[in-house]
Amino acid sequence: MATVHREAIQKQIQQDWANREYIEVITGSVKKITDFLNSFDMSCRSRIAVLNEKLTILERKIEYLEAWVTKGETMN
Amino acid sequence: MPLPKRVVEPIHVSRGTVPDSNEISLPSELETVTNGTLANTIRQLSSLSRHAEDLFGELAREAHILATRANSLQARLDKLAIKTTQLDSTVEEVLFIVSLQEIHMRKAYKSAAIFDQQVVSRDTMPTAMLETYDQCDKPPPLYKLNPYREDDKDGMKFYTDPGYFFQLWRQEMLKDTERMIHDKGKKPHKPRSADNSGGRHKKKVRQPHNTRERQRQNAVKHGEYIMPNAETIYAPSSIHANYEYEDDSAISSLSNDQRPSRPNSIEIKRNYSQHVVDGNKSIIYSPTSNQRYSPTNIYYRGNYVPGMCYDETTLYQQHIMQAQQQVLSPSVTNGHVITGMMSPGMLNNEMLSPSGTPTRGSKSNSVRPSQPPPAPPSATNSSSSTPSANTPTRGRSMSSGRETLPPPPPPPVEINTSTIPPVDLPPPPPVVSQSPTSCNIPPPPPPPPPLPHATAITNGPSSIIANGDIGKSPIKPIISTTSPPNRVASPKQISENNINSAAPNTMKLKCNGPQSDPRSDLLKAIRDGITLRKVEKIEQKDNDRVNTLHDVASILARRVAVEISDSESGSEDSEYDSEGWAEQETTVH
Repeated sequence: MATVHREAIQKQIQQDWANREYIEVITGSVKKITDFLNSFDMSCRSRIAVLNEKLTILERKIEYLEAWVTKGETMN
Repeated sequence: MPLPKRVVEPIHVSRGTVPDSNEISLPSELETVTNGTLANTIRQLSSLSRHAEDLFGELAREAHILATRANSLQARLDKLAIKTTQLDSTVEEVLFIVSLQEIHMRKAYKSAAIFDQQVVSRDTMPTAMLETYDQCDKPPPLYKLNPYREDDKDGMKFYTDPGYFFQLWRQEMLKDTERMIHDKGKKPHKPRSADNSGGRHKKKVRQPHNTRERQRQNAVKHGEYIMPNAETIYAPSSIHANYEYEDDSAISSLSNDQRPSRPNSIEIKRNYSQHVVDGNKSIIYSPTSNQRYSPTNIYYRGNYVPGMCYDETTLYQQHIMQAQQQVLSPSVTNGHVITGMMSPGMLNNEMLSPSGTPTRGSKSNSVRPSQPPPAPPSATNSSSSTPSANTPTRGRSMSSGRETLPPPPPPPVEINTSTIPPVDLPPPPPVVSQSPTSCNIPPPPPPPPPLPHATAITNGPSSIIANGDIGKSPIKPIISTTSPPNRVASPKQISENNINSAAPNTMKLKCNGPQSDPRSDLLKAIRDGITLRKVEKIEQKDNDRVNTLHDVASILARRVAVEISDSESGSEDSEYDSEGWAEQETTVH
C-alpha cells in the first residue's frame, strides 16, 4: 500500500518536472521571441536612423541645388 | 537605471497559481501550479504579441515616412536632373555672372530644414511607455495653492518641473553666447578707435561730455554737491534784485543768500533743474548746491540731451555759454543783450515766428532746411528787452510789451551777439561781472558767435522740443508771455520769493510745456528719427532673442553663428562701428 502511494507521488513529481520543462521551453521561446523582437527593433531603428540621416542630408543638398538652379520660378 | 520601454506581463508566471482557500480540495497541487504557470505564459505571449505589433507598427510607420521622403526626394531629384539637362553652358555662365535683374529674380535661399528638438519629451514618448506613464500617480494638485502664494511662483514647480534641466541648459548657453558676443564686440572697438580718424574725431568731441557726466555722477554718488554753473543760473534773478542796489560783486553774495531758502518749495526745484539744463555741459562742483537737486538734474539732462547729440558738442557748448551769458547780461545790463538771450525762446514760439528777421532765418536754414523760420525771436527780444530792464516781474512786463510791440530791426541782434562772444568762455560768476562791461564796449569779434548759437538751436530738436525741454533761461520770458497758466502759477512763487518770481514762473511754464504739448513731442520724435529707429531695432533684437531662444535648435544655431562670426570678426569692423555708435549715443542720451 505504502509502496503504491509512493509510486503515485513519484509519478506526480516526475510529471511535474516534465511540465516544468515544458513550461521552461515555452518561456524560453517567449524570451527568444522577445530578444529577437528587441534586436529586430534595435537594428531596424538604427537602420532607419541612418537612412533618415542620409535622407536629411540629401534633402538639404537638393534644396541647395534647387536654390542654385532655380531663378525666379519655384521648383515645387 | 534602465527604463523599460515595453514590459511583458505578467512577470512572475508561477506566483499565485495556487488558490489560498482550502475549501476546494485539489486533486493535484503540482498540476494546478503547472496549469497556472502555463496560463500565465500564454498571457505573456499575448502581451508579447501586442508589444510586437506595436513595435512593428512603429517601425512600419517610420519606414513609411522614410519611404515618402525618399519618394519626394526622388521626384525632386528627377526634376533637378531635367532642369540641369536644360542648362546651357551660357546659362551656366549666367549662374556665376549674375546680372542685376537675375539677382532680383533669384529667390533667396532659405533652408527649410527642420531640426529635431525636444527629442526626449512628453510628446515623443513611445506609446508603450506612455501607458506605463499613465499608470503613475498624478502629482498632488499643488497648482491649486498658487493663488495663495505671495511670491508668484508655481507651486507645482517645487514638486516637479519638467522644464528644469532645459532651462538650466538654456541659461548656460545664453550666458555663454552673450559672453562671446561681448568679448567679440570689445575687440574691434579698440583697433577702430586707433585707426579710424573720423571715429576718433567724433569720440574726442563726445568723450569730454561723457566723462564729465560720469564724473559728475560719481560725485553725486559720493555725496558731493553739484552745482552746474549754478551761479550763472541763479545770477539773473539775484542780479535782478541786486542790480538796483549796486554792482556786480554783490551778486555772488546775494545768490548765495537766496539758495538756502529755495529747497523749501517745489517750484524752486524746478528752477534749479532748469538751470541745470542750461549748465548741462559745463558742470561745476560747488559745495553750496544741495544734493537734493541732483536727481532732478539728471532727469532734466536726460530729457535735454537728445537734442544735444545732434549738435557738435563744441557748438553746443558755445551755444550754452552764450545763453548763459545772455541770461546773465540781460538782467544785469541792457535790453539788447536780453534780445540775444530771448532768441532761442522765440524760435520755439509759433506766435513769435511771423516777425522773424531774415538774417536769423537764413542762418538756421543753411544748417537745416526743415527748420521753421526761427528768426522772429530777435525782433521780439529786442522789444522785450526794454521792459525787462530791472524789474523783478520782468516776465510779465516783457510779455505785454512783446505782444504789442512790432518786430524790431535785425541789427540789434547782431550787436547783442557780438557783445556776447567775449563773455562766453569765462566761468559764470565772473561772466556776470564782465557782461555789463562787454555790453558797453562791443568787442571786435562780432558775427561768428551768433552762427553757432543759431545753428545749435536749429540743429538740436531743442528748439522744436519746446520751451520746457530746452529749459534755457533765455526762453523763459517768451514762455511766460505765451502761456496764460504760467502767469497763474507765478503769483504763488512771487509770494514765496519776490526776487525769484520772474524766473520760477518761466521755469514752471517750461516744465509743463514739454509734457503737455504732444506736437512738440512729435516733432522731437521726428528730429530724433535716427536714434528712434535704432532703439527700435535694438528692442526688436532683444524681443527676437527672447522669443526665438526657447528651443534647442535656435539656441545652438545662434551659438554656432556667434562662433563663426567670431572668426570673421575682422571683416565686420564697419558693422561694429555702427554698433559702437549706437551704444555711444545711447550712453550720451
